[in-house]
Amino acid sequence: MFFYYLDLAWRSIKKTPLLSLLMVLAISIGIGITITTLNVYQLMSENPAGDRSDKLHGVQLWSQGKDAWKEFNGQVTYQDAYNLRKSDVPVRQTAMFVTGLALQTEDPDFSPLLESVRVTDSDFFEMFSVPFLYGKAWDKGVDTEAMYQVVINEDLNKQLFSGENSIGKTLYLDRKPYQIVGVTKAWSPSPLYYDVTTGAFKDSAKLFVPFSLAPIEEYQSWGNNQSWKREPINNYSQRLSSEMHWIQYWVEVQDDKQRDEYAEWLTRYVEQQQLIGRFESPEAAAKVSNVEQWLKINEVVPEDNKILVGLSVLFLLVCLVNMLGLLLAKFLKRAPEVGVRRAIGASRAQIFSQHMVEVGLIGFGGGLLGLLWAWGSLSMLSAHFDLEAALTQLDLTMWIVAPSIAIFAALIAGVYPAWRICSTNPSAHLKSQ
Amino acid sequence: MLSMKNISKVFKTDLVETHALRDFNLEVKEGEFVAVTGPSGSGKTTFLNIAGLLEGFTHGDYFLDGVNISNLSDNKSATIRNEKIGFIFQGFNLIPDLNLAENVEVPLRYRGFNSAERKRRVQHALEQVGLAARMKHLPSQLSGGQQQRVAIARALAGEPRFLLADEPTGNLDSMMARQVMELLEEINRAGTTIIMVTHDAELARRAQRNIQIVDGQVCDFTMYQHGAVADKPHLVAGDKRAVEPSSVEAEEATS
Amino acid sequence: MLQIKPILSTLMRNKSGPILLLIQIILSVAIVANASFIISERIALMDRDSGTAEEEVFNFRLYSFDSSIELESQLQRDIRTIRDLPGVMDASATSMVPLSGGGWSSGYTVGNTEETAKDTESAAVYYGDEHMLNTLGVDLIEGRNFYEEEVLTGSPDLATHGIVSKAFAKASWGDEPAIGQIMYAGDFGDKPIQIIGVVDKLQGAWVNSSYLDNSVILNINLVNVFTKVLVRAEVGTLAQLKEAIPAALHKDNRNRVIEGFTLISEHRKRVYRNHELMATVLSMMVVLLLLITSLGLAGMVMFNIERRTKQIGTRRALGAKKRDIISFFLVENYIICLVGGVIGGLVAVQLGQQLMSVYSLPKLEPIYPIMTIMGLLLLTTVAVILPARKAAKISPAIATRSV
Repeated sequence: MFFYYLDLAWRSIKKTPLLSLLMVLAISIGIGITITTLNVYQLMSENPAGDRSDKLHGVQLWSQGKDAWKEFNGQVTYQDAYNLRKSDVPVRQTAMFVTGLALQTEDPDFSPLLESVRVTDSDFFEMFSVPFLYGKAWDKGVDTEAMYQVVINEDLNKQLFSGENSIGKTLYLDRKPYQIVGVTKAWSPSPLYYDVTTGAFKDSAKLFVPFSLAPIEEYQSWGNNQSWKREPINNYSQRLSSEMHWIQYWVEVQDDKQRDEYAEWLTRYVEQQQLIGRFESPEAAAKVSNVEQWLKINEVVPEDNKILVGLSVLFLLVCLVNMLGLLLAKFLKRAPEVGVRRAIGASRAQIFSQHMVEVGLIGFGGGLLGLLWAWGSLSMLSAHFDLEAALTQLDLTMWIVAPSIAIFAALIAGVYPAWRICSTNPSAHLKSQ
Repeated sequence: MLSMKNISKVFKTDLVETHALRDFNLEVKEGEFVAVTGPSGSGKTTFLNIAGLLEGFTHGDYFLDGVNISNLSDNKSATIRNEKIGFIFQGFNLIPDLNLAENVEVPLRYRGFNSAERKRRVQHALEQVGLAARMKHLPSQLSGGQQQRVAIARALAGEPRFLLADEPTGNLDSMMARQVMELLEEINRAGTTIIMVTHDAELARRAQRNIQIVDGQVCDFTMYQHGAVADKPHLVAGDKRAVEPSSVEAEEATS
Repeated sequence: MLQIKPILSTLMRNKSGPILLLIQIILSVAIVANASFIISERIALMDRDSGTAEEEVFNFRLYSFDSSIELESQLQRDIRTIRDLPGVMDASATSMVPLSGGGWSSGYTVGNTEETAKDTESAAVYYGDEHMLNTLGVDLIEGRNFYEEEVLTGSPDLATHGIVSKAFAKASWGDEPAIGQIMYAGDFGDKPIQIIGVVDKLQGAWVNSSYLDNSVILNINLVNVFTKVLVRAEVGTLAQLKEAIPAALHKDNRNRVIEGFTLISEHRKRVYRNHELMATVLSMMVVLLLLITSLGLAGMVMFNIERRTKQIGTRRALGAKKRDIISFFLVENYIICLVGGVIGGLVAVQLGQQLMSVYSLPKLEPIYPIMTIMGLLLLTTVAVILPARKAAKISPAIATRSV
């Protein structure tokens, strides 16, 4: 029966091509706009940590003074990071920040590159599930006994060593030799959840060096450096002992129980710091947030995007009302034919289904066309605004989502007209000519 | 076959109650050919709609082929319409977008026949009305008489027990009307019960039995014998405003 | 001539069509009013002037990774080299670049006594020399520039003289003259800075901050392995200077990375990108929405004409002119539009309030719904007249034809 209805629907659509086109256009434009904004929204609001989201936790400390910031800062001070590393509660943990270093190779003709470098601990790679192509992270011992070792990513390995296994080779960062211990596979979570301080939709760093080298090499911070206290920071040791927030701190716990245990540990840490005159604010506290909470706290999805999604849903609603009106007019015009069908044995349900199939077909067409619009507008926007590719690819799920929303929306719009036409008294139209 | 007892149908609007049928009683036996006449607004169409399960009724009992029709669900009554009843309308009511074969196929579709069975029945029904050769034509390409024959083929395709015809010749000239009538008679002889509403007394006389509806009630009914034609003039069919005096039929019936 | 009563009764009899149209218009007005308000607000944001010669000024990053480099003298040599290049009008090392999204900001302490001292609003802090003003192309409206001998080299703490933007002067000292005022980089009395000049306008690096127009230039040449250099050059010379500058500086010392040549106008484009994106997407929405609404309306009118063919024929037979038929449809449209527009306007204000409470949007100005309704009336007139002209052509003879 479904194919019979489909055949009837197709005839009906062909019979009024202009009107059908109008309806398909209306719904496709609504879908196009909605999918465009929804696509960006979805990519922004994705939680790339997946099932590890509940294990990984960002750490925040309310270390600022009485009248300083009114909320937790996203980063911690170096001295706190240094102290937190001593906790043996979490399974893994890492302190980190981004620096920039001049990169050279043993080739004297190689023109130096300024690359951003993530300064972090060996646990980083396990915690954030970084896949390795060759080698592995530096040994845990390096986190305390600094060594000049580096992990590079696949891209850089291709660029410098044409993709060969480069473990054991030497790189120069600010003219210091570093030994390559690992090459990661292409890997760049989006949003870059573990460090959203300077924008959540950037590529991950190409190089990683041990955090333990920071006080020795005096790496500059390329991230946000936020001070609440007026204190002189004219050299690196002043920076390390300052109250400036510039280090990100993450821990991995096994389960909620261990998380609570760690939170307890942090509370004791805050109390202990208060004894030596830090954490002066009455609100001084510590906070751990899993990845999902972290993305929320840091407002990774910008307000604009939420407004756009909201408005585009309203837009879709207008398109549906539009379609509803046209459908109603179209269906009611067909009342005599429906009367005949009812008389010769079609039940209400069958008439209803026939019309819903027609509406669904229009919705399906609108969905496909809408997908095309969305693809077009995303490509246009990304070309015009030079957007991060991570935000403008049409997500694969949209190939399902778009037609589904379209059909669903069309069916909703079709219910009333289809109900009207199937519930009119068949005898009313049989006599009249 | 068809049995109506004390059927009444009331239309209610905000102010007025209109009795379309009141205490309507009728028995039709299997294989009968019944002509229904009556003045305009007397309730003929309401009767036909109720008989054809297109409308419900307010009071009374209606049995069709042994099935109690009161309070039947929409689905059930659609099934009965589909399997047991064929409709023929004054305006033919063919679906203009469908060709002849597809028009005839419509009830078979709703019945759920497979495509081979549908094809066989469509072929057979169109052969019966002599239009099998034109099955790919659209209704608009046919004359009125041909269209009505297609409508009859559509009504026959489901092999109904029971044919309801509402002024089947009302839009046709007398030649074509006669052809259609002959077709109906042939169908009746093959065993199908027919109830036909008509204005045309001449046509009505050709039926086995005439009933007349006046003010929503069966006024009189008598077995009618072929050949006994009264020479009283009667009003022309199609003039819907005119009232045919009931005495005409009554006299004819007694002669 | 306006037969409003028969039109109203026609509307009341076929409720569902007009009601749907009404809903559509209400929603359209609500969306379009809010969207166009957000658009105009974003455009106003993007139109703000940075105060600099955006097409002439560019910056690049200079990273010295050789610890044997004598940074202070090297920087001075570098800047001199750049200033001598053809096409270059001026150059200066800087701590930050306008509209670039990264740099320094700070608040200061002002006041005459320790008790009355208060914190100023935050301001973007540019560290630079006496060439800074000319390099940026900002207008000095009061006081004077730094003298060459006043410029110190080293750390930020050394600053003694400051030039401030008019906005910052007003925020800090109100109507008092800013020239001669003292502000403190530390607490009251600690690290005093004397204000010697006021520039008309100079924006900081963060366009979404509340203190974008607050800027301070301090008399320090920062010495750091990582330096930003501002260059003002004739329009169109960037492509060539992109090659010439690294070549000239590498001739002096190769152990530097020189990169990131960007005009301020390019920074502007990038830093306002999200606003422009928002405005673009919303404009797209508004245009398409109006298109959909008018197409839908035209479709409905077409249907109504078909349904009322006989009625129209009868009217024509009874003496209605073509004009009367068109005006019948127009008046019908205007009734729906006005009712829908008024309700839509109220919904728009409500929606605006919701948006305002949830997101950081300003209050919707009433002119936007009003303009939207006006625009809608205009647009729907076209959408109605086109099909209605067809209706006016219906022959009066239709009325006499039955079937």
